[in-house]
Amino acid sequence: MNKMQVAIMKKDLRGLVFNKRLFPALLIVPLIFALVLPTILILTVHFAPEDISEMQQLLDLLPLGEQSQDIQMRVIGLMFNYIIPVFFIIIPIMSATIMAASSFVGEKEKRTLETLLYCPLSLHQIFQAKIFASFLLSMFVTFLSFILMMLAAETELLLIAGSPLLLNINWLVTLLLLSPSVSLMAIILIVRGSAKAQSAEEAQQRTIFLILPVLLLVVGQFTGILLVSAWLLLGIGIVFTLIAGLLMKSGRNKFNYETLLK
Amino acid sequence: MKAILAENLSKTYPKGKKAVEGLHLSIEPGEVFGFLGPNGAGKTTTVKLLNGILSPTTGSCRIFDIDPFQHPESAHQISGVVTEHAQMYDHLTGLQNLVFYGTVFGVNTKESELRANQLLETFGLADSANQRLATYSTGMRQRLSLARAMLHRPKILFLDEPTSGLDPESTQHVNSMIQRLAKNEGITVFLCTHQLRYAQEICSSYGLIDDGTVFATGQLGTLRSLVSSGLTVRIEADHFPSDIPHKKTGERTVEINVQDESEIPSIVRHIVEQDGSVYHVSARSLSLEEIYFSLLESHKSKKENL
Repeated sequence: MNKMQVAIMKKDLRGLVFNKRLFPALLIVPLIFALVLPTILILTVHFAPEDISEMQQLLDLLPLGEQSQDIQMRVIGLMFNYIIPVFFIIIPIMSATIMAASSFVGEKEKRTLETLLYCPLSLHQIFQAKIFASFLLSMFVTFLSFILMMLAAETELLLIAGSPLLLNINWLVTLLLLSPSVSLMAIILIVRGSAKAQSAEEAQQRTIFLILPVLLLVVGQFTGILLVSAWLLLGIGIVFTLIAGLLMKSGRNKFNYETLLK
Repeated sequence: MKAILAENLSKTYPKGKKAVEGLHLSIEPGEVFGFLGPNGAGKTTTVKLLNGILSPTTGSCRIFDIDPFQHPESAHQISGVVTEHAQMYDHLTGLQNLVFYGTVFGVNTKESELRANQLLETFGLADSANQRLATYSTGMRQRLSLARAMLHRPKILFLDEPTSGLDPESTQHVNSMIQRLAKNEGITVFLCTHQLRYAQEICSSYGLIDDGTVFATGQLGTLRSLVSSGLTVRIEADHFPSDIPHKKTGERTVEINVQDESEIPSIVRHIVEQDGSVYHVSARSLSLEEIYFSLLESHKSKKENL
């Protein structure tokens, strides 16, 4: 990444922060997935009636390892270690989508794309800058969401149950490998779609109707995979990273100036 | 080394529209080249071809010996381009826009800021430097675009209708800027315009294009010699002898073509001898506008005869 590409990334990120329509949308998804939903889960489990003990049978069926804690903490642990990590695959995809969808078509609509193409950067470098700007944003939002979620959850649990929440290795793999790789794959596909689109609406529809369902389907399967083994998760993370790398390379000759300005 | 060299350059769009056909250009460094033609003649397509944004269907071109299609990044590094479709960011201020483009062209931030402030001063935009671009008028935007194109100190400027949509005062301002840049900085300017009167003020050589074909190139004198080598004399008199070939332009005014000024006294004498009173006599060379339309007409009739 050279200085010229960094300048494009900074400009894109700055553009998003100043966009009164997109910036609030960027905050809503992490707020819901990282603060509202976990809080509701904690409060539901805490204030649930006594028959939560029926969960015991379910918990016994699951391969959860050590089972010494009380039932409430075990249910919350189950939620936080095997279900909520999935949210952290959705958050980066959703937040990246907002910026990636308008990456090229936004410039086209503002009539700034041609100016950018007259710069001494190759198309591949411009694509890289656009992709990494969205990627940085999605990772920033993801890690910030994680920190906020943990601060809120630990505070709530300390107040309600008096004991802290312990996270397992799944989180490490999810945050450091799965989130970045799935997010990068989604961004590359969305940015390419944005380059082909004629309007921002078209780019967003393309994203929502073609890319998101496929990704959410993949995401949906992860609750099961999280339960199987952290090694499997690691393997999948490595495969996804390789796919993202291949996608990045395969786009090199897909576009030229003429197709972009159509 | 030529600033621009195009040989048999043609561009046919996928739907079959021939935008440029068999273009030959040879422009020396430091020239202000006026590329003149009506809207849709192929001027913008030529700018895009010369910058490697479009791929030629046939032929080749080079800018300062760089093939812009093979090495667009190198060609862009030495070019500054202002076109109607190359705008800047509304959410950034004038200064921020210039600094951004400076950085993208590889100038470091400090130097970009320094150059941006100097250019804003030169283009009369210093007071609006910290205003967002969204608040700029069309004339201010156009001047900022010129500043943007100049920021990385290019060897050649491509200006596609830089004064379109501007009021006469702003047009004058932009034109004097272009003239100054060419004179003081030695920059080659490729100026596309259909405003022939302004082109005559600032260009040193011309290319006339219509319907994708360049039908004449050269300096004003060369183009003039293709139409008429002489002068047009405007005479106001109450009587004009019918034996002198003339064109009536008003109730008492006529225009006649002569080879040089030495013919004028005998014409005036002839009018007076025929009892005519002469009120006004002035001679002028053919303007670019007249040359353009005359050459265009003969080009079209040649085309029809083919």
